[in-house]
Amino acid sequence: MTPSADAESPRASASPKSAMHRFRLASWAPVIVLVLLCAVIAVINPNFLSFGNFVRIAQAAMIPLVLGLGATFIILMGSIDLSVEGILTLSAVILSLLVLNGANGNDLGLLAIPLVLLVGAGVGFINGAVHVKLKVPSFMTTLGTWFIGVGVANALLGGTAVRINDKLVRALAISRDPLVGLPWGVWIAIFCFFVALVIQNYTRLGRYIYALGGGEDLAGLSGIRASRVRIMAFTLAGVFYAVGGILAAAQLGLGNSQIGLGRLFTTITAVVVGGTSLAGGSGSVQQTLVGVLVVVVLSNGMVLMGIPPSVQIGVQGLMIIAAVALSMDRKLVRIVK
Amino acid sequence: MRALIDSIGADRIRQYLPLATLVILVIAVGVAQPAFLEPATLLQLAADTAVLFILATGVTFVIMLGGIDLSLQSMASLASVIVALTITRLGYGAFVLAVAVGAIVGLLAGLAHVRLRIPSFIATLAMGGVLFSAALVISHEQSITLGEAERGYQTWITGSVAGVPSVVIVGLIVLVVAHILQSRTAFGRYSAAIGAGEPAAYASGVKVDRQKVIAYALSASFAALAGVILAGRLSSGSPTLAAELLLPSIAAVVVGGTAITGGVGSIWRTLVGALIISVVRIGMTFLGVNIFAQNIVFGAVLIIAVAITIDRSKIPIVK
Repeated sequence: MTPSADAESPRASASPKSAMHRFRLASWAPVIVLVLLCAVIAVINPNFLSFGNFVRIAQAAMIPLVLGLGATFIILMGSIDLSVEGILTLSAVILSLLVLNGANGNDLGLLAIPLVLLVGAGVGFINGAVHVKLKVPSFMTTLGTWFIGVGVANALLGGTAVRINDKLVRALAISRDPLVGLPWGVWIAIFCFFVALVIQNYTRLGRYIYALGGGEDLAGLSGIRASRVRIMAFTLAGVFYAVGGILAAAQLGLGNSQIGLGRLFTTITAVVVGGTSLAGGSGSVQQTLVGVLVVVVLSNGMVLMGIPPSVQIGVQGLMIIAAVALSMDRKLVRIVK
Repeated sequence: MRALIDSIGADRIRQYLPLATLVILVIAVGVAQPAFLEPATLLQLAADTAVLFILATGVTFVIMLGGIDLSLQSMASLASVIVALTITRLGYGAFVLAVAVGAIVGLLAGLAHVRLRIPSFIATLAMGGVLFSAALVISHEQSITLGEAERGYQTWITGSVAGVPSVVIVGLIVLVVAHILQSRTAFGRYSAAIGAGEPAAYASGVKVDRQKVIAYALSASFAALAGVILAGRLSSGSPTLAAELLLPSIAAVVVGGTAITGGVGSIWRTLVGALIISVVRIGMTFLGVNIFAQNIVFGAVLIIAVAITIDRSKIPIVK
């Protein structure tokens, strides 16, 4: 994992020496944490290193990774997206209602996937448009759409769960490729990662997102249309969450209203543990990959050590606090709200 | 439209819009269902609003400062579990314990926010996760039903005094205490000052960090009290007891006219906001809207209310 080239964000140049030092440490710390974590768990339980467990980790990481990629773009702008669970649940439920299922006569098969991606893009677009046009801070906008998304999913379901009977759709998350033996869903997540990487590094949108996070007033003065970039970023994030919803529904074989529970938490933990700053402007999807692996390996290790899953969400909470506390450049932020 | 608003004065509209909305909603529901306006039904409405109002009151202190508390539903759930687990041994002490845990949790969240300089939404989101986890662990991931013997301690919640449900009286006491805290104490005035302009408040010698920590401690304590009351009303404690209450609570504060940018707001407005949410809920139930689908309306109401009340001069760049 190479540290990305975003070190030269405006805030990092305030005091060159210490900023440089902090940058080096901050960008490598998550990798070091990941390696140490793997080493410790492997010593305690050698099963950790088996191929079977590797597949399990990959399978557990695929959805958090896809969600984290979307959220990274939002957090890079200095905004936040709390609607992860809303869009994911809505996408999963709509997918389950469009393919061969136990509730209605639809049978769109894989054709349902582009439609679901459109739904994700649509909700993301609404997030961005409301946030920009009505000037409502993103955490409030997305808090609203979080509950609207879950509410619409509930209304579509009418309080039940819908079984997915389409074998091809289920195979997305369950069947394995013949070569390496990884579930197809993992390959989809890896594909998404490279798409995000290309958007981040080789498109105007990617560069503009960094520019907005580094200083929106400056970006505006340099001719970047901030509101358009914001709407596009939220739309993009919506598509990633919809992919997460498709994978979650395929994995569970069901569309229900609880399918998103706890996923916002894991997503934000992964992004901030990876070292992407909540202030915006610094971070990358590569760092989010590392963050996702830290979170997933830790919970995998806790399972191997026999720690109940209910403890994990608490551990993630403490990780958020620790990661944000360590990554905040406190000298430059006078007022924190 | 804009010209019309300008001619009446946007501030005046903002001030009276919530109260007018409440009156119109009550009349609308009353016309559709005349039984709604009977005293018994209205008292029931007040009783059903008490928990929401107490949660919203707590978070009002935080929002007045320009912060947010996203852990209140987890705190309330944890408090319900604490009561359910300890009431046999501690009796009334269980309530005190639950609220004390709330105060400590709020203190810690506040300290994490001001000392570590973590934005409040992320500090309280993380704290909410820790609390949820704690509630799952101590309850062994189960809902705990209160036995007959323990219900004797709950009469201050479930009983009634002269025909008025006790929980309404508890709600009124909370209203008075919170109103005094907010409008008659140094803490209340400093909070408004910090919300109105933190650098100015800091420059005039206000101990900003201390006021913030007090606000978070109050928010979590009120959330714990709400959890205690919820446990009494539902005769059980569970890690997800209050899970659905985060959005309505914040919506109540904002709908009442308290701006999330801070500085503008009051406990009275939160009372109006909480009543609006309750009446809307009853109206929707009357129309046959699924209880979970009701979140669609609350989500939309939240966004619209924020858009109306927010003070954009304070945030040149909206993030």
